[in-house]
Amino acid sequence: MLPSCLRTPSFPLQTLYTYPENWRAFKALIAAQYSGAKIKVLSTPPQFHFGQTNKTPEFLKKFPVGKVPAFEGDDGFCVFESNAIAHYVGNDELRGSTKEAAAQIIQWVSFADSDIVPPASTWVFPTLGIMHYNKQATEYAKEEVKRILGVLDSHLKTRTFLVGERVTLADITVVCTLLWLYKQVLEPSFRQPYDNVNRWFVTCINQPQFKAVLGEVKLCEKMAQFDAKKFAENQPKKDVPKKEKPVKEEKKQQQEKKEENKPEPEEELDECEQALASEPKSKDPFAHLPKSPFIMDEFKRKYSNEDTLTVALPYFWEHFDKEGWSIWYAEYRFPEELSQAFMSCNLITGMFQRLDKLRKNAFASVILFGTNNSSSISGVWVFRGQELAFPLSPDWQVDYESYAWRKLDATSEECKTLVKEYYLWDGEFAHVGKAFNQGKIFK
Amino acid sequence: MAAGPGLGAEELDLLEKSLGLTKGNKYGVQGERKTPVLQTNSGPSLTGLTTIATHLVKQAKKEQLLGSNAEEKAIVRQWLEYRVTQIDGQSNKDDIRIILKDLNLYLEDKVYVTGNNFTLADILMYYGLHSIIADLTVQEKEKYLNVSRWFNHIQHYPGVRQHLSNIVFIKNRLYTNVH
Repeated sequence: MLPSCLRTPSFPLQTLYTYPENWRAFKALIAAQYSGAKIKVLSTPPQFHFGQTNKTPEFLKKFPVGKVPAFEGDDGFCVFESNAIAHYVGNDELRGSTKEAAAQIIQWVSFADSDIVPPASTWVFPTLGIMHYNKQATEYAKEEVKRILGVLDSHLKTRTFLVGERVTLADITVVCTLLWLYKQVLEPSFRQPYDNVNRWFVTCINQPQFKAVLGEVKLCEKMAQFDAKKFAENQPKKDVPKKEKPVKEEKKQQQEKKEENKPEPEEELDECEQALASEPKSKDPFAHLPKSPFIMDEFKRKYSNEDTLTVALPYFWEHFDKEGWSIWYAEYRFPEELSQAFMSCNLITGMFQRLDKLRKNAFASVILFGTNNSSSISGVWVFRGQELAFPLSPDWQVDYESYAWRKLDATSEECKTLVKEYYLWDGEFAHVGKAFNQGKIFK
Repeated sequence: MAAGPGLGAEELDLLEKSLGLTKGNKYGVQGERKTPVLQTNSGPSLTGLTTIATHLVKQAKKEQLLGSNAEEKAIVRQWLEYRVTQIDGQSNKDDIRIILKDLNLYLEDKVYVTGNNFTLADILMYYGLHSIIADLTVQEKEKYLNVSRWFNHIQHYPGVRQHLSNIVFIKNRLYTNVH
């Protein structure tokens, strides 16, 4: 028999709490379309007020994490995390009917979360104006997206759907995770090499069960760029609720009144942060430090856009806060192992990439001196706080032991000279004894 | 002439089963090409595979299989015609190769013959190509990768295959340098 369109009315009425247009909630809602599960969606006030309802003790008692989407059955069964909800409201066909299929479905669901969400967020969020644009991070994310699309493309070359011959939670999850990419940035020329992914994606979003939840999905025609205006508009909203969290009820309510109109960006911001944080636990390793008057971003803007000698350097010394920040000299410990210049450069840029999440709290100019097979690497680093930041996160520890680190006295002449020469990529470099080859800036 | 279920009454029996029709019509044949004929209870007799197949779909109340909008309906009809005029009776190896090559190109960006939705065109194209695909070598199946992907998907579509043999496709490519 061909599958009939009849839905089994065996499910009781169940509730999904979310904010509107939440792609994570889409996973559960599409799964419900396939299984016929009846779900009531509460996403708008007065029933559900994002940022308010999900912070109430009553809600937290059911869903201790306070995140949405969150699901409640009419029998009192509660579950959070969108993948778990989709699993619960789906049917056997969606979950995989053999052990192998089920395992492969979990494989793709996990792949979506671990490999697609981070670069997709890094690339897409700035175009929505909810995260600051960082060229290097975005370029890196684009490369990651290419890699992921390549993986999917070769898998889908011989397959109609990701697992087996029917739509499963694997397709639902990966499609929803790619949704923003396809809507915002994957313009025709970018997605053109991935025909098999495109075919699969378009087929999925055109299935009646997807359409019922997603509506008509319009694929990107021109790659969206960083939306500085929208970002500026979102800025105060971003800061205020974060700080207000622990503050008394009264103030909080005022705040929420202001927020009432636009609940979405806030949650998406939460996602940005998730994407940015290397480990879910290590939120901000610098949070304990007192506020510093030295605005690193401002210095970096000056350094990037204006003359180093006449603007950036004077700005640096005028505003540098030696209580809140420290300056370090680092020298590569194994210069005899350095052979080709391009390899040495890769060593430096590789380190920068691994330290990606440190960018907000550090700046460095690292220089390769000398020529092939006779070179050295050294640099000047500026870090938030008085200690080396590397031990704070396992991600950051890969390279730093290969360098000898020496803290500089910010008031000393030596420090002034080093900062000047390394920032300028020009000067005597008296301590090096080799000619400048090329420099790299971590910012 | 191609052997197998591609022609006539036998194929309509298959279609009835996949549509969930249990009554079982009796079919006659007409002319040299053994065109199937169905004598309906309440009207004139219906002649020809696509005419009868369309009638059966309506009988089974699965009209969505005929296409859900004007364009899709047209594309379904187009491929039903292609099936009867181009695929049926094809035994020349070279002609078969051309059909597979064209179809392979056509299916590159499609999951179903009409694009995004499973229709009668998929079912009848599948029945019509079954004996041809069954004769392909592993290397040929890989050469017509998009046809193979489509065919494998359709033969696994619930109810479609019935008693026809399951054709095996290798999903990890062996001849990756051949296209």
